[in-house]
Amino acid sequence: MAYDGFDPYSVLGIAQTATAEEVKLAYRRLARRLHPDANRNPGAGAQFQYINKAYEMLSDPAQRQAYEKAHASDDADRPYFTLRVTPSRRRIAPLDEPQVVYLLADIIPDPRATEARFRRDTRLNLVLALDRSNSMNGARLNEVKIAAHQIIDHLNEDDIFSIVAFSDRAEVIIPATPVNDKPAMKARVSMMTASGGTEIFQGLNGAVAEARRYLAPRLVNHILLLTDGHTFGDQPQSLQLARTAAQEGIVVSAMGLGQEWNDEFLDELASATGGTSAYINSARAVARFMNSHVRNLSNVFADRIQVSIAPDSDIKLEYVFKLQPSPQPLTIGQGFIPLGSLHRNRPISVLMQFELPPGLSNGFRSVARIVTIGDILAERISSFHTMSDTSVEVAADAMIENPPTAILDALGKLTLYRMQERAQEALEQGDVRKATQHLENLAARLAALGETELAQQARSEAQQVAHTAALTDKGRKTLKYQTRHLLLGSDGGEVG
Amino acid sequence: MKLCPFCGHQNRPGSLFCEDCAQPLFEDAKVLTLQTKQIELPGDVDARSTWGTASFEKHATVLLHVRDASEPISLRPTENQLTIGRADNTSPIGPDLDLTPFGAMDKGVSRLHAAIIRNEDTLTLVDLNSSNGTYLNGQRLTPDTPRVLRDGDEIRFGRLVAHLYFQEDLRA
Repeated sequence: MAYDGFDPYSVLGIAQTATAEEVKLAYRRLARRLHPDANRNPGAGAQFQYINKAYEMLSDPAQRQAYEKAHASDDADRPYFTLRVTPSRRRIAPLDEPQVVYLLADIIPDPRATEARFRRDTRLNLVLALDRSNSMNGARLNEVKIAAHQIIDHLNEDDIFSIVAFSDRAEVIIPATPVNDKPAMKARVSMMTASGGTEIFQGLNGAVAEARRYLAPRLVNHILLLTDGHTFGDQPQSLQLARTAAQEGIVVSAMGLGQEWNDEFLDELASATGGTSAYINSARAVARFMNSHVRNLSNVFADRIQVSIAPDSDIKLEYVFKLQPSPQPLTIGQGFIPLGSLHRNRPISVLMQFELPPGLSNGFRSVARIVTIGDILAERISSFHTMSDTSVEVAADAMIENPPTAILDALGKLTLYRMQERAQEALEQGDVRKATQHLENLAARLAALGETELAQQARSEAQQVAHTAALTDKGRKTLKYQTRHLLLGSDGGEVG
Repeated sequence: MKLCPFCGHQNRPGSLFCEDCAQPLFEDAKVLTLQTKQIELPGDVDARSTWGTASFEKHATVLLHVRDASEPISLRPTENQLTIGRADNTSPIGPDLDLTPFGAMDKGVSRLHAAIIRNEDTLTLVDLNSSNGTYLNGQRLTPDTPRVLRDGDEIRFGRLVAHLYFQEDLRA
C-alpha cells in the first residue's frame, strides 16, 4: 500500500504541533468511532488501516521526524485532487424520530491537470469486447465495425488496443498491441461476421486476458463491452471476474443495444468496476456512443478512483449514487467503492443519503468520514489519498435553512430515477397499483419539469402496467436510462 | 414526520423530495416548478402562485363554492368519508353531498365521485374511481389515492369546478 498525499496529521485530526499525548488521545477517539468492532460499516473497516498507519507514523519519534523532513517544502504536497463534502443541512434539530441528511462529495482535479505534461501522458490500454451473435447480423454489426474503425483512427501510436469478438465463444480479432499498423487492424475488423448465441462471460474472459497483457498502473486499462443479447446462467461468473479485474485495475463499461439485453446485470457489472453502463436504442447511434466514450478516456487524469464512506456507528448509509461524470448507481457494502476515472476538467460527484438516529444531543457531531484514493497516471503515483470529516451542529433552535442548490438540483433529478426504480420494485413484489401510481407520479413530475416526451413515455408505461402488470422492455430501459441521463449537466463541470 | 402536501405520504424530517411521489418538500420549492407548472394547467384554471394552509383546525368547517353558484355549501367533514356525487333514484346509496342542483348530470359527475376525509389535522380528497376524474388544482388524481387539501384549492369533479375554503370556528 502506498501513502502518497497521505497526511497523518489530518487523518488523526490534529495540528502539527500536537504532543505525543495528544496523538494518543486522537487515535483512541477515532478508534472508538471507526474500529471494526465498534462500527460494522464496511467503510469503517477499510479506513481503520489509515488511522493505524497515521498513529504508527506519529507515535514513533523517528518516523515522525522523517515525515516532517520529507514534507518540509510545501510545494511537494500540493494535492492532485481535492475532496469537498457539502451537507444538505449544517444545523439540525434534535428530534425524537430518525431524520435524513444528504452529503454531496465532489472530487475535484487540481488545475495543474490541464497542463501539457499531464495531457501527453494519458495512454490507453483499451479492449473492445464486441457481441457478434446472430442477432447482431446486418445493420448492427456494420455500425459496430464503423465505430471500431473510427476508434482505431483516433488512437495514438503508444496506446494499446485489442478487440475480442464473442458469441457463445470468444475470438481475439486483434491481440493487444501498440497501435502502429492501423490499416491492418481495420482490415481485421472488416472481416468480422455474425453467428452463434450470446455468452457474455466468454467475451469478458477473453477481454480481461487481453487487458492483462499490457496491464500497468500508469495506463487507462479499460474494457468496453457491447452486447445486444441476454446472457443466461453465466452472470455470477461474469460479476466475479469483473470484481477480480477491478482489483487489478481494469474498468469495465457496458453498452446495451436494442431491447433484449439484461440491464440489471450490465449495470451491476459496470458499477462493480467503476465503469458506466448505457442504453443504445438504435444501431445508428452505436458509433456516436462508442466514440464519445473512448474520447472521454483520453481525458483521464487520475484513474481507479475509489471512495470509502464510513458513517458513525449510530448513523446509517442508505443510498449512494454517482452523479457525474456519468450517472451510475453504486453498491454499498464494500469498503471501497470503485468510481472509475477522474477527468482533467470535470469533477466526480457522489450523492449519499444517511439516516440519523433520534435523540441526538446538542453540539457538533460527526456524520461520516469519507476517504478517496486514486492513481495519478502521469506522475506514476498510486493510491493518492485525500479525506474529509463531515460534522453537523445539533441545536434545538436550528432554523430551517435552504439546502445548497447543487444538492437540490441533483436530488430532484435523482428522485425521478428512484421513482422508476420504485415502480420496478413494486412490480417485482406484485403490487401493480403501487407501480402504476409511481409511474403516474413520475409522469406528472417529468411534465412539470418540461420533459414532455419522457413524461408521455412514463404515462403510457403506467397504462401498460395497469393492464398487463409489466412494463415494456423498451419503456423500462428508456425510463431508466433517460431519467439517469437527466442528471448529466445538473451542474456540468461548474464545481471547483 | 414531514407530510407531503401532494400525496400525504409521511416522509422523515430532512427529506427534500417526497419518497412516494417525487414532489419537492422544502420551503421554497414553488420557485423551482412554478414556471413550467403554468404551462401544463388546462385553460380554465387560474394559475396560483401561493398555497393556503394545509392545517385544518379541530372545529373548522369547509366552504365549498361551486363556480357560478350563488351560495357556498358549508360542510363539516368527519373521519368517515364525506362522499360527493350525484343522487340517482335507481341507486340505493346516495352521496352525502348531492351536486345535482349545480348541473352535475351535464358536467359528468359520477354518482359517487369523490370523498373528503378528515385526518388528525388535515383534510384529504380522494377520487372514488369516477368516470371523468377528479382534479386538484389542475392535476388529475389517481383513483383511491388521497391528496391533502389546502385552503383555497380548486377542485374539479368532471367538468364541475368548485373552490374550497377552510373556515375556522369562531366560537373556539
